[in-house]
Amino acid sequence: MSTPTPTKVSPKRNRSSGANPLGAWFNQQTNAVKFSMERLWFNPLSTWITLAAIAIALSLPTSLHLLLKNLQTLTADKREVPTISLFLKQNVAEQHAKDLAELVSGLPEVENVNVVTKDEALAKFSKITGFAKTLETLTDNPLPNVLVITPRLNLLGDMNLDAEGFSAKLKKYPEVDDVQIDVEWIQRLRAILSIAERIVVVVGVLLGLTVLLVVGNTIRLDIENRKDEIRVTRLIGATNSYIRRPFIYGGIWFGLFGGILSLVIVHLALLFLVKPVGELADLYGSTFTLSGVDVLMTLEILAASSLLGIIGAWLAVGRYLWQDEQAA
Amino acid sequence: MIEFKQVSKKYPTGQLALYNVNLTLEAGEMVFITGHSGAGKSTLLKLVAMLERPSKGEVLIGGRSLSKLGKSQIPNYRRRIGFIFQDPHLLYDRSVFDNIALPLLISGMGQADIRRRVHAALDKVGMVDKEKTFPLMLSAGEKQRVGIARAMVNKPTIILADEPTGNLDPELSQDIMFTFAQFNELGATVMIASHDHALVDRMKKRTIVLQKVES
Ligand SMILES: Nc1ncnc2c1ncn2[C@@H]1O[C@H](COP(=O)(O)OP(=O)(O)OP(=O)(O)O)[C@@H](O)[C@H]1O
Ligand SMILES: [Mg+2]
Repeated sequence: MSTPTPTKVSPKRNRSSGANPLGAWFNQQTNAVKFSMERLWFNPLSTWITLAAIAIALSLPTSLHLLLKNLQTLTADKREVPTISLFLKQNVAEQHAKDLAELVSGLPEVENVNVVTKDEALAKFSKITGFAKTLETLTDNPLPNVLVITPRLNLLGDMNLDAEGFSAKLKKYPEVDDVQIDVEWIQRLRAILSIAERIVVVVGVLLGLTVLLVVGNTIRLDIENRKDEIRVTRLIGATNSYIRRPFIYGGIWFGLFGGILSLVIVHLALLFLVKPVGELADLYGSTFTLSGVDVLMTLEILAASSLLGIIGAWLAVGRYLWQDEQAA
Repeated sequence: MIEFKQVSKKYPTGQLALYNVNLTLEAGEMVFITGHSGAGKSTLLKLVAMLERPSKGEVLIGGRSLSKLGKSQIPNYRRRIGFIFQDPHLLYDRSVFDNIALPLLISGMGQADIRRRVHAALDKVGMVDKEKTFPLMLSAGEKQRVGIARAMVNKPTIILADEPTGNLDPELSQDIMFTFAQFNELGATVMIASHDHALVDRMKKRTIVLQKVES
């Protein structure tokens, strides 16, 4: 075959022989991708252990986040929105009650007002309780006219717009006998949820760090095993970025596959919960269903886990290259 | 092309390997380095490849001192050098083909060119039928030849060979020497450390004899 022909004595010769720089770059990348993939299955047990550790670390904040999201949809459900009941004085006539309703519905905090007249209330009451007989013996209807107010949701969301203040305001109307509010429990729940949200963030950050350490440590061991190889490639002119590349891809695979595995875990856990949650919701007459991981969240999780993999690998290789440089 | 100016090399162990070496190689020259074991032949070659740094004096390549080369320029410089190590330093988890392809991959060559060049290099060292073999399954001489092919595949301007024929039979040694001579004729500067006096004499090239430093 042909004799290698070192014609020109020029340092640029190697460059010019790679005619298409983009193609050459692509070739280096695909080689690194292929090589790092193969490396992954070089030691399957340790790879699986690493992936499992990453997956578990990722699935915990994901499931906490899902739990929270589900609780939030539960409390945001329109049908579950708490109401404020305005009990009017006995002597307030039905028409007067309707006028008042008109007035109240104009308030900024109010979404809508529903008038339950004393007659309607009585009819409903007798139907429900089975006290029809007893009630018939009464000459007068003992029930008051009631305005059922649905507050605007922002009243609930906004902790400054306190329900207490609003109820005091309502109480000032002379027709009003009593205000009953069942907003407080939901405000408390929201407060708890917003604390829980922060807890999820803290847990997420800590477990993200765990993923970083796990990937970093795995890559560090991989580097340790390949020290000779790195030394040899360095002897024949490998740059730092050439040495770094396969390890970075390795980090991406750990992050990505760990992320996929964590999604599988979360899905299995959801499947496990769907039935009992459905039954519980039925008992409460609710149509609530568990919401799972949607496409956007899936992508977010995978992007985040891959990024953690890259950073972990980068730190590990960076540390090695730095040490190597100090030693040289 | 290659110039040693009052170069001394003392290893961190205190061992003095080279003392006050002055040496000039013209571009396109081919020289043999001989001397007893421990005389500093390997050390001399390592200084040229920047695998070691001189403790005193300087090594100039093309008139430029290597000590002035920045860290980021070293990889690029090494790609111009084909180094044949005394122990071939192959990667044992890669096939013969992949081992030889490594320098080309590092310099960013396309796959088609790589294949062509690697096959040419394998042909040169007579190992075309072993491209898929792994180094562990090769004899010492075959490993040495893979190391030689890897050093030549990038068409280096400087070839440094440390006992390249140490494990080869006389006939193959002669072939390999002629391969080096061919490269030399095409413009490469070649430095070969060797014990094989008979072979060195037959090549009729300038020979530099290193004396062991008495410390
Ligand atoms: N990395 C090192 N650290 C300490 N001393 C070293 C190192 N490398 C070589 N030496 C010492 O430097 C001297 C020269 O070594 P060198 O390897 O250059 O000899 P050589 O001429 O190549 O010998 P050989 O023919 O046996 O290969 C020897 O005395 C050796 O012990
Ligand atoms: Mg030696």
